Order: sequence, then structure tokens, then C-alpha cells
Amino acid sequence: MYDAPPFTTQETAVTDVKIKADKVQVYYGDTHAIKDVDVQIDDKTVTAFIGPSGCGKSTFLRCLNRMNDTIDICRVEGNIAIDGEDIYDKRVDPVQLRAKVGMVFQKPNPFPKSIYDNIAYGPRIHGMAKNKAELDEIVEKALRRGAIWEEAKDRLHEPGTGLSGGQQQRLCIARAVATEPEVLLMDEPCSALDPIATAQVEELIDELRQNYAVVIVTHSMQQAARVSQKTAFFHLGNLVEYDDTSKIFTNPEDSRTESYITGRIG
Amino acid sequence: MTDASMDSAAPKRRFVSLTAEDDRTRKRNAAEKRFRMYGIVAIAIGLFFLVSLVYAILSQGLPAFKQAVVKIEYTLTQEQYDDAESKLLKTAVYTDNFVAYLSEEMNARGIEVEFDAAAIERLLGKVGGDLRAFYGENEDMVGQPVTFELAAASRVDRYLKGTFEREDLQEGNRFFMAEDFDLIDAMQEAGFISQAFNWNFITGVDSGVDNPGGAGIGASVLGSFFMMLVVLFLALPIGVAASIYLEEFAPKNRFTDFIEVNISNLAAVPSIVFGILGLAVFIQFAHLPQSAPLVGGLVLTLMTLPTIIISTRASLKAVPPSIRDAALGVGASKMQSVFHHVLPLAMPGILTGTIIGLAQALGETAPLLLIGMVGFISRYPDTFLAGFLEPNSAMPAQIYNWAARSDAVFTEKAWGGIIILLVFLLTMNIIAIILRRRFERRW
Amino acid sequence: MNSTQEHISSAYDRDLEGIQARIMKMGGLVEQAILDAAKALDTRDQELADKVRAGDKAIDDLEELLNEEAARVIALRAPTAIDLRVILSVMRMSANLERIGDLAKNLAKRNAVLMTMPSMNGSTSQLRRMSRDVQVMLKDALDSYIQRDEALARDVIERDIDIDQMYNTLFREFLTFMLEDPRNITPCMHLHFIAKNVERMGDHVTSIAEQVVFLVTGEKPDEPRQKDDVTSTNVELSKG
Repeated sequence: MYDAPPFTTQETAVTDVKIKADKVQVYYGDTHAIKDVDVQIDDKTVTAFIGPSGCGKSTFLRCLNRMNDTIDICRVEGNIAIDGEDIYDKRVDPVQLRAKVGMVFQKPNPFPKSIYDNIAYGPRIHGMAKNKAELDEIVEKALRRGAIWEEAKDRLHEPGTGLSGGQQQRLCIARAVATEPEVLLMDEPCSALDPIATAQVEELIDELRQNYAVVIVTHSMQQAARVSQKTAFFHLGNLVEYDDTSKIFTNPEDSRTESYITGRIG
Repeated sequence: MTDASMDSAAPKRRFVSLTAEDDRTRKRNAAEKRFRMYGIVAIAIGLFFLVSLVYAILSQGLPAFKQAVVKIEYTLTQEQYDDAESKLLKTAVYTDNFVAYLSEEMNARGIEVEFDAAAIERLLGKVGGDLRAFYGENEDMVGQPVTFELAAASRVDRYLKGTFEREDLQEGNRFFMAEDFDLIDAMQEAGFISQAFNWNFITGVDSGVDNPGGAGIGASVLGSFFMMLVVLFLALPIGVAASIYLEEFAPKNRFTDFIEVNISNLAAVPSIVFGILGLAVFIQFAHLPQSAPLVGGLVLTLMTLPTIIISTRASLKAVPPSIRDAALGVGASKMQSVFHHVLPLAMPGILTGTIIGLAQALGETAPLLLIGMVGFISRYPDTFLAGFLEPNSAMPAQIYNWAARSDAVFTEKAWGGIIILLVFLLTMNIIAIILRRRFERRW
Repeated sequence: MNSTQEHISSAYDRDLEGIQARIMKMGGLVEQAILDAAKALDTRDQELADKVRAGDKAIDDLEELLNEEAARVIALRAPTAIDLRVILSVMRMSANLERIGDLAKNLAKRNAVLMTMPSMNGSTSQLRRMSRDVQVMLKDALDSYIQRDEALARDVIERDIDIDQMYNTLFREFLTFMLEDPRNITPCMHLHFIAKNVERMGDHVTSIAEQVVFLVTGEKPDEPRQKDDVTSTNVELSKG
């Protein structure tokens, strides 16, 4: 008689809403790039934004940490609240916001400094460490969180640009978590990486969701399917559908979503 | 979806061999060959001019570094010393003693020639004075043999270099007489006259028509140096700060566009315009000392500023935006991202631009003419501060001055000065290249 | 073997482990159902028969769950090569297991009627033995699946011949009984259906074993399955 091992259940932690976006509009000059987006991003969850090129997913992502402020012709209307506070309030300092909401970019962009300095820069300017010992601790913790401690611990003072592409991206992720953010934004973090490095970063993202709310923009639907628990489909600036990932990929509600996922529209 | 299925009869293909050369290929190859020839010819012409220029400079200028000297081992006995000091006309006694000694030496070597103190003074200048000054300081050398290197007059120098012939001598010239030529030949035969390296040219100061051979470029080098200090410490910070503001912080509107266009135009303004500006503003309005390196430096700062601003902007633009994004993403403010990340990466380019700007300023003459830095400067400044405020000249101005004087020796010095100026420029450009290579980073 | 090596994505491994755990559990339930149904028949235990009938629901639920999970993995992971074969074989195996469960339920259903009739001279113990053989085949097939053991799977496929032979023997016996005494016809008809069901169980187990061969080698087993159930074609056998 075969005695079956016990079930392994899919863990879905009970989550709160971390980011709440209400009727968000974004204009580039006269172009209405993001139209009327309402979405709630959960904490300790990976949320994926998918959609064809130019649908506005990156633009919306950059609204979440006010990176669009650096673009002069960009105008944001509507309400985006993190932990209940509107981040576009006049009293909010974008610099402080960006310590709370970290960002990882498409092309790995470590500073041309040593690995140690790359990680230590953020904590230094935010005054997170009182002395060198504390800073060393912060650096080690961040490198461990970024799953690159083993590869980096013997080369802390070598330049960050000497690592391979996948390692550099993990270094950038470690740099982003060094400032103890609560939200991690990732803009197509794997598009410049080979498949093995991509798989390693995706595995890292799965670990990160235990501590952070992760929002990832990706133009690979398969990546969204593999890595996220909730998926939002953007099309021509509109948020078409937002639901659990397994539902979106097995039985989406909106026909546009199904057309995109099955490869019938680009 | 495609039209591939529509036409069933595919067009028949003729087999054309790839190795067959058709007309068009031949014409194209010929045209390309011709174009390459044009390029080579152009380079050859350029090289020819370059070689001619270098040859002219070196052939005319190198003689300036050589100076005819009279090298003689002379012993002043104690009696002669006491005797000379007791007389009224002391220098004359020194001269006579020297003449007597030289005569003996020449006869000992079997050379028969008649000469007197006046002739020696025509050839060697104020020998007596020089000897007296020496023994005045080194009394213990009396009675000891001392090897003197006495600089010969410029005509001796020129005679030995072949630019001054016997036929060139005019009647009634009080600086030179026909017999002097024979004396020179005799001394040369005796081995007293030789060509030595003219250190005085490099370290000495300018001198008048009475001693063209004694002119040196030292003071002007110092004048140029002080000017470059002023330019470095003014133009670099102002230029870099202006550039950073324009590139990183200024809003992009019509006003800033207007400023940018004007800066580019300023770089092309003729330098003499800056000279007039300097004259009007710094000397007449602000009453700064005329001909001072401070004023020269200020004028050159105005000239170099556009160059530095333009090269700094180019270096800042070359820093990829991903670095700025990365810094902002980690929570740095705009200022922090510029000063901690962008500026260090742009620094090599900025330094290169600055050095090239300085090198250009070093060679500028026209503005210096207008603020008066072409004067006759015959002494070094006393203190460091005086170096900025006392009248001085600069290398290019000095060269211009010498070239304008009538004596042919000054012309030779002018060529020599050109060589020194070029050495400085070459050195600065090489430093710029080394810096650029060393700091080039991949990001 | 590749299937024992871990994926870089640990969540993918967990998904696959979950699916395999479910299919093994389903297999365990079905094995138990076979044994219980045959025992109930032999010992005339109505309670046990009812238990088997009630337990079939759990088996059906597991099949539905497995199908859903497999669809989810296909949609989300786009499995390839060995992973794809694992998913495909799980889907087919669960269908086979569900059918075996249904056949066991049918066995149990007939128990109530058969209890009222005279026993047929040891046929039920023969049936019990046949069922036991089928259950051992199923256990081996499941083991060969979890261990990816091609040799064991092929062995299971071979053993189906024995099950078919046993069925042939029982068929002849029942014919004899029915010819002897017309009162035996009803019980023998029921018993015959039961025997047929057990034989079909054997076929389904063979199908499972074939899936295992497909999983391991990537190809279906070459030789056409030996069908020794000749009762449908052999004229001689049908004569009295």
C-alpha cells in the first residue's frame, strides 16, 4: 500500500493593501498617457504589470516613486497613497519617498564604485549608520537579501562593474533594499539578462516578497505568470483587468486580456 | 495573410556568378581608389607643411641656445689684487691685468696678435667689472687658479655662428672693428672661445640693445606662469559651476537657450576684443596695475571661460542618465546625485578641457598687447604677491617684442622663445592626453 | 536523472511535488478501494461495501483537483520536456485511477444483491485473489512512477496477461455453473460482471504503467499490448 506524503499547500499570506491608486491620470504634454487607473497593490505580494509596448505600465510604475518628477512635461493627477498617505502631497519630499520606495531598472546600473560603496551609498546619505561597524552590518545584510553575499564577500572593494550582468542586477537589487524600503519597484529587471540569470533573479523576487510589496513591470507574460501572485493588464493607458495571476492566465474576464495573453493582439 | 500564395509561377532566376565583375562594380572600385588617393595626397600635403614648419623653427631657434664663451683659467696674484684695490680706477686695473695675462697665454701658445683693453671690452663686455665683482665676493680665491666662463658679445657669437661676415661690417661702427675678427680667430685657435649651452637664455631677463646676447626669457616664463595661475583658479571653478547649473538645474526655456547660444558665440570671438574689454574694464575702470599678470590673467579667464564651459557640458552630457536614475532611485537628491556621482565621472573630461583651454591661453598674444604686457622687463619680481601685481610680460608677448627689434640676435632669440613656448604647449597637451587615458572608465 | 534535479525556481518544484503527492494519495485510496471491495464480496460484509461506495467521492474530488492543478501549472509555467511529460502523464493517470475507483465502486454495489444469493463454489475467493493481483500491479505501477523505473513498469504491463487468463478461467467456470443449474444463472451473471470489471481494472493499471514508460523514455511502449482476453473472439470457448 502506498502511503502518500502529506499535502504541500500553496502559501498565500494574508495581506493588507499597501498602495492605493485612485483615478490616476498622467499627461505627457498634451498626450493623455495613463487614463483613469484605479488599483490596489497588496503588501508582501508580487504584483505584475503586463501589456503591449507603450501601454503605460512603466509610466505608471514611475508614478509610484515620483520618478516622473524629473521629466518636465509630465503631469500626474489623481491620488496615489502609500500606507494611507498621498505621496503627491506638497509636504512630501520625493527624496524621502524614494528611500521608502526602492527601484530597480531595466539595465543593471551599479555605480562605478566598489561593491561596498554601491550598497553603502544609500544608507550613508540617509544617515542610517552611526559608525563603520553598523554600516558593515547593513551592507552584509543587504547583500544577503540580494542573494549575492557569497559571490561578493571576497570582493567587496572591487568595482561593481566587474560583475556579470546577472550579478550586477542582483547587486542593484541589494542596493535598493539597503535603504530598508517597504515597496520595491522593478522596471523589466530581467530584460537584459540571459535565461539562467533571469531564473536566479526571479527566485530572488520570490524570496523578497516575504518582506516587501514588489511591483514588477514586464513585457514577458510568462515571467509575470511565473513570478507574481496578482497581475494587472494595461492596454493603451487603461487598466483593463486586475486579478489573481492564476485566474488571469487560465480564465480572464475581459476579452482584451485573453487576446493579449493568447498572442492574438500585440 | 501573406501574398506568397498568390502568384504561383515564381519568376525565373538567371544565374549570375558572384565572381564575374560587372561595369558598375568596376566603376565603383575605381572611384573608391581615387578617393583614397585624394585622402593620401591631402595628408601628404599637411605633413609636408608640418615638417617644413618644424624644420624652420628648429634650424632658426636652436642656435639661440648656444652662446659663445671665453673659457680661460686665470690667476690673480695677491699683489695684483692689493695693487688694484689701492688705485682709484679699480676696474681698469683688473682689465689691464687680464689683458696682460691673456697676451701671455696667447704668446705661450704661439699665436701672435696685437690687442688692447678696448678690443677686449668690445669682445667680452665689461670684463674688469665682472672680475672685480667675483673677487669681491670670493676673496679667498685670490692667488688660486679660477676657470672663468665669460660671455662673448653678440657679434662674436654671430660671427662664430656665421651670420655676421666681415663684409657686413660697416665703417665707423663703434661696437666692432676689422681687427677684432682676427682676434677672435686667434682666440679660437688658442682654444679660448667655444660654444656653450646658453642657460642664461632660459633663466635670464630681457636686456637692451647693448647686450642682445644676454637676453633671456626667464622673466616672461614667470609672467606667463602667474597668469596661468590666475586663469586656473578663476576660470575652472566659475566655468564648472556655470556648466553644472546650466546642464543639471536650469529649466529648459527660451532664456537658457539664449544663454547657451551666446556662450558658444563667445568662444569664437577674436581675442583682441577681449583685450580691449580688459583695457576698458580692468585698467581704466577698476584701476588695476597696468601690465600686471593679474590683469592679463583676468582677460585670459574671460577668453577661456567659454571653452571650459563647453567642454564641461560635453563631459556632463556624456555621463549616462542611468547613473543619475540609479542615484535618484536610491533616494539621493538632485544635488547629491550631481556631486557624488555625475561630477566625479565627468572630471576627466573637465580636466582635459581645462588643460587644453590653458594651453590655448598660454599662446595668446593679442589681448596682452592691449593691456600693456609687452614692456621691457629686466628684473624678476621680488615676492610671490609682487609676481601678480608688478608689470611683467608673457612668453608670446616677449617673442613678439624681440622679433620687432632690429638686432639680428634678438630675432634669433625670438625663434628660441618660440621653441620654448612650443615645448610648454606640447607638455600640457601630453599631460591632457595622459590624464584622459588614465581616467577613462567604462560604465 | 533530470527530474530529480531542482529547478532554480523553488516554487515550481513545490508545485510539481504537490501534484505528485496528490496522485500518490489518489493511488493509495484506489488500492484500498480494490482490496476492500473484494474482501466485502468474499466475506459478505455490507458495511465494508458501503464504505467503498462512499469513499469513491474522495477519489473523484482528487481527480478534479489534479486536473485543475495540472492546468494551472501548464498555464503558469509552460513546462517543457520532462516537466511536460510529468504533467501529461499525471493527467492521464488520474483519469485511469478514477475509472478504477469507479469499477471498485461497482463491485461494492453488487455486493448487496449477491449476499442474498447462494455462493458459487469458491468463485468469490478466486475473485478476491484476482483483485489482490490487480492491487499489487497497481502498487507496482505507482512505485514505478514515483521511482521513474521503466523496467518495473514494463513488468506490470506483462502481468496483465495473468489477469486476462484468470478472467478466461472464471468465464469458463461460470458458463459451466450456468449450464449445470439454471438457478445459478443470476448469481453467475453478477459475478461475471464483477470479473469483467476486475479485468478492466487490470487494463487501466496497464495503461498507467504505459504512461510511466512514456514519462521515462518519451515514447509509448512499442509492442501492442497483449490482449489475452479471447473470450470475445474464441468460438470454442463459448461452447458449453
